Amino acid sequence: MTAAVLLGWRGHAWLALPARVYLAGVFLFACWHKILDPHSFAIDVATYRMLPLAAVNAVAIVLPWVELAAGIMLLVGLRARAGALLVAGMMVVFLVAIAWALAHGYDMSCGCFASQGAAADPISWKTVVRDAAWLALALYVLVFDERPLGLDRLLARRA
Amino acid sequence: MPGSMEYPLPRAMWIAVRDAALVTAGCAVVAFGTNALRSMGIPVVAREPYQILVPCPDEVGESIEMAADDARLRSSGTLLIDARDTADYAAWHLERARSVPYDFLDPVNEKAVQEIASTGASVVAVYGDGAEPDSGRELAREIAGKGIRNVHHVVGGAPALQPKAPDAADGGTP
Repeated sequence: MTAAVLLGWRGHAWLALPARVYLAGVFLFACWHKILDPHSFAIDVATYRMLPLAAVNAVAIVLPWVELAAGIMLLVGLRARAGALLVAGMMVVFLVAIAWALAHGYDMSCGCFASQGAAADPISWKTVVRDAAWLALALYVLVFDERPLGLDRLLARRA
Repeated sequence: MPGSMEYPLPRAMWIAVRDAALVTAGCAVVAFGTNALRSMGIPVVAREPYQILVPCPDEVGESIEMAADDARLRSSGTLLIDARDTADYAAWHLERARSVPYDFLDPVNEKAVQEIASTGASVVAVYGDGAEPDSGRELAREIAGKGIRNVHHVVGGAPALQPKAPDAADGGTP
């Protein structure tokens, strides 16, 4: 099977749909507490000790909204590939951050779905595997979901 | 509105990158605007470093969970430590419990650790505020990290112990 045939297979849209909905759910859930409480999320970002202090708040302010936008794009199938690219980019950043924290031996919460005050989601190499799996899903949507089910397809029919 | 559907892959990727950049820029505008308007917005640039609640890894050991009704809490061979602040300790504490207030931002008092070590207690049981994270568990881990063995933390902390406080037989000190 050539790469062109693999890429052109029409069934990808149906395989990608649950991946898109799942990733959308993850990111919409993840962004909620960060948007509601930017101060706590800024502490979460600072706890990784990767960014200069001057960049911490800007990242804490903007990142949750990008998560929200990416989640909506994947959910409704509007510019789904761009949404998948955003998710993949964020997953790469998160993977680097968590690996950095683990390499430095930081005993801390992930901050992914709740603030640092909640010790329910401590970082570990399992977190890295989980995020890598989400990255793989995002890359699948990005590369193979040529005709995403949703608004992209509806708009293309009208064009 | 042209989409990325059925373009050759490199072209589709370029469109995705362009769209992602535009969305990110739009999100930045919305995020900074919303942050500026809302009452709980934060400064775009932090004015002072955040106090980070991450214990130093080489000073933290593992403590063992102990239930609030564990009989060892009433044993004379068990050293009881109250990790709550002094006001809470004064209001109520288990009989024989020593006060070693735990602060998430400050290192554990070395003198207190030495005193704990010098008691020769076979079991050390720490209880804290029972919150999440529990000050008792954190103090127990730090004490264990100092090389003291058999350190336990009471699950649920003082709130789990306090219902028994009025009963003098349980050692409660109102």
